[in-house]
Amino acid sequence: MRAAAALTLGTALLVACSEPSQAPAGTSALLPAPGDPTISFSLSFGAGSQDDPPGKQGLAYLTGEMLASASTENNGYEAILEKLYPIASSYQIRVDKETSTLTGRTHRDNTGAFLELLTDAFLRPAFAEDDFARIKNDTINYIENTLRYASDEELAKAALTQMVYAGTPYAHPIAGTVESLRSITLEDVAEFHARHYTGGNVVLGLAGGFDDPLRSAFELSLEGLPQGETVPDPAVRPATVEATEVLLIAKPGADASISLGFPIDVHRGERDFYALWIANSWLGEHRNLAGRLFQVIRDQRGLNYGDYSYIEAFPEGGQRTMPPVNVARRSQMFEIWIRTLPNEQALFALRAALLELERLVDGGMSREEFELRRAFLDKYALHFAETTSERLGYALDDRFYGIDAPGHLEQFRAMLAGITLEEVNAALKRHLRADKLKIAIVTGEAENLREALIGDTPSPLTYESPKTQPILDEDELIERHPLNIDAENITIVAVEDIFQR
Amino acid sequence: MTRNIALLIFITFLSAAALAQTAEDRARLISFETHTETLANGLKAIVIHMPGSGLVSYWSIVRTGSRDEFEPGHTGFAHFFEHMMFRGTEAFPAERYNQVVTEIGASRNAYTTDDLTAYYLSIAAEDLERVMELESDRFRNLAYSEADFRTEAGAVYGEYRKNVTNPLFVIYEAMMGRAFDVHTYGHTTMGYEEDIAAMPTMYEYSRAFFSRYYRPDNTILLIVGDITPAAAVELVREHYADWQPGYTPPRVPVEPEQAEERRFEVSYAGRSLPMLAVAYKLDAFDPQNDLRVAADLLTEMAFGSTSELYRKLVLDEQVVEFLAAEAGLNRDPGLLGIYSRIKDPARVDYVLETIDATTARFRESLPAEDDLDALKSRLRYGFLMGLETPDAVARGLARSVAVSGGLDDLEAVYAAYAEVTPEDVRRAAQRYFDPNRRTVGVLRAEP
Repeated sequence: MRAAAALTLGTALLVACSEPSQAPAGTSALLPAPGDPTISFSLSFGAGSQDDPPGKQGLAYLTGEMLASASTENNGYEAILEKLYPIASSYQIRVDKETSTLTGRTHRDNTGAFLELLTDAFLRPAFAEDDFARIKNDTINYIENTLRYASDEELAKAALTQMVYAGTPYAHPIAGTVESLRSITLEDVAEFHARHYTGGNVVLGLAGGFDDPLRSAFELSLEGLPQGETVPDPAVRPATVEATEVLLIAKPGADASISLGFPIDVHRGERDFYALWIANSWLGEHRNLAGRLFQVIRDQRGLNYGDYSYIEAFPEGGQRTMPPVNVARRSQMFEIWIRTLPNEQALFALRAALLELERLVDGGMSREEFELRRAFLDKYALHFAETTSERLGYALDDRFYGIDAPGHLEQFRAMLAGITLEEVNAALKRHLRADKLKIAIVTGEAENLREALIGDTPSPLTYESPKTQPILDEDELIERHPLNIDAENITIVAVEDIFQR
Repeated sequence: MTRNIALLIFITFLSAAALAQTAEDRARLISFETHTETLANGLKAIVIHMPGSGLVSYWSIVRTGSRDEFEPGHTGFAHFFEHMMFRGTEAFPAERYNQVVTEIGASRNAYTTDDLTAYYLSIAAEDLERVMELESDRFRNLAYSEADFRTEAGAVYGEYRKNVTNPLFVIYEAMMGRAFDVHTYGHTTMGYEEDIAAMPTMYEYSRAFFSRYYRPDNTILLIVGDITPAAAVELVREHYADWQPGYTPPRVPVEPEQAEERRFEVSYAGRSLPMLAVAYKLDAFDPQNDLRVAADLLTEMAFGSTSELYRKLVLDEQVVEFLAAEAGLNRDPGLLGIYSRIKDPARVDYVLETIDATTARFRESLPAEDDLDALKSRLRYGFLMGLETPDAVARGLARSVAVSGGLDDLEAVYAAYAEVTPEDVRRAAQRYFDPNRRTVGVLRAEP
């Protein structure tokens, strides 16, 4: 959906052939639900952190926040909050790699007042200095304090993204880096807004109990956007991983938080994606106690709080159970998330995850595992979009990926019955592997871990209680599972230096 | 362990429910056919019929949380036990339980707070009977080996490790410890770290804990969704009637009245902006206590996103990065807590002075009638917009059900919130914003 208008032949040639096709510009997603007393609004602009100019990482994010959390020409931010308050409504923006999606929801009693405020937000932002100072300061604090010091798991994930997408516009955190944020001016924000928030670069979404006059008014509001010029999508071609690389983020006193992965070339809408989804669900369905990684690392051995895997971006994994919407991307990565655990167990957990991945890729799923996972997903997918606003989010994502009605989730459920075990196991071999990985570890024992990785030192566990013989036998395999990481591919960075520039 | 989030969601939901004043709003809530059935063994089942979605949200709420951990050296056990409940029974060992839950594509989890432990599954309505078979079995017949018990202790320690990297958790933990001398609210739901570390040695105690608290007379089923009360109750009878009662109430110490202000400083082993926490003693939640009811509205008016304080500190002066407050909705007297993160370490005292000026103003002056009306409107619409899915309704009600023991108080709460006046808000401020009954804490990063 990124800039629908950008989908000219010339633009298409700029992106990798494997990238998903995108829907035409200016279209809208309408999901009427007459019995619903609420209305969900959405505007998805084809502008994200991939459009940040060099040295201005975080510009898309700050621009988005200057629309959603700041004054407009008609109302100061305080007045906006006061007007939204009695109607218990809000609007917010999710700035992602490719898109910035402004969403809001209100009760049908209050659509007039709400639409006026929402329209002001994207048509008439004030770009006030005091708002900018507040938002910029908060964002720098987020990088300097929260990301670096208050959430090791999010830090490892952000570091992994930077490694996998090094040299591409996906690499940097969406919120930017400390020095780039400091360099961004209000003029930069205004320019970014003028360039990207245009009529040819937006998809409108409306869902719930809306009527025709509301729909017309919302659609009409888009005419207030400048037409603008087509902005081509930057190419996103992550480099092929030739050898496993490790980044150790040295944070004194920290336990170990691990994320690992590599880019994959498969997207929603493609049959292989759905085949891979079944296998990934078995390996590491998010927050699911029956996933293989969870079973091996947490359930059988009690090493940490959870262990999961992904074939699509899944931001804020620690705060959500179901997948997010409005994070559609042309390039995806396969990712394993090993939650925080003692440093002395980090190597074992890493080996366990890689061994499980290797077995899955090499041996495939069994017939029984396949049938059980298929049954699971058929119903589990019902929970992905229980609310009207979630369904609207999926509809907008369908636009991005060029998926026709009835859409991604329905397509998946319909396809489940037809996908064969052989297809799943073939897709595994085509897209996943257990070597040539990028690995990011936040740890308080960076030097020791580095030495252990270089030496491929066995990493036996000691337990508080007796374990069954099968688990002990398995441990012997895991603790010696070769990692084959060369010393020159291991880098240590101090936590205070990461995402500095 | 999602205590804070669950609490905030609950406050929003219940307060709003109480303010759904018009006949139409009431009809909206009550138009969901609601039925409460109490079995002979004391198990209460609350069924709320929300037709159309094909989904059911199935909650087993044990009215035991970290509040019930009154024995020294055993903090964190309610939460730990939440983990053990996934370890299976003779009829459904963990692998078999997982397989069945996987077959039906359930979304499931659990959480523990100070006053309750909740287990929930979101399922297709057609799978309700199967879920009742599973859940009634594990609540009656949980069986696990000592080895499994020790293994799970490691996972719990992992959760603690994850949490302590967050400075908000660190100052919250310190606040609870300082604000309470003897009551069990003095430790967080995670428990003291030394107790968590010692958990692997407490297998026998865990069996006693289960026997003492996991009883039908201490449990409420909350079943919301595409199922009629008659059908649901029939299944409840079939699967839970022979569960033996025998709940033994915990001997929770009574917290003595606080007579003077307490202060503490806590250091954070990482980098963080300083945080300030101010917590006033608050009465237990009781819809008959008009001052306690008004305290919910007072908290929002004094510290919410349109309050004068928020405008001054967050928007105009930009001194603090965030400001949040909550009035604890608890079975026993708890806290009205205000938390903020301050951008300039030199301005911690200034922020405290500004909070003090706010509390003084609410003690001395009547809030504007318009502001109170705006709040009531907000809560009303918040409530209406929250009735979206069976899961949202169940999640919103779970805490009130646990604290009050059912839905019976709901009508009383409705009436009480709707009647709150500016004078009530001032009286609540005079009662609760008492400098002698508060604790003030500051978190700073280690140098």
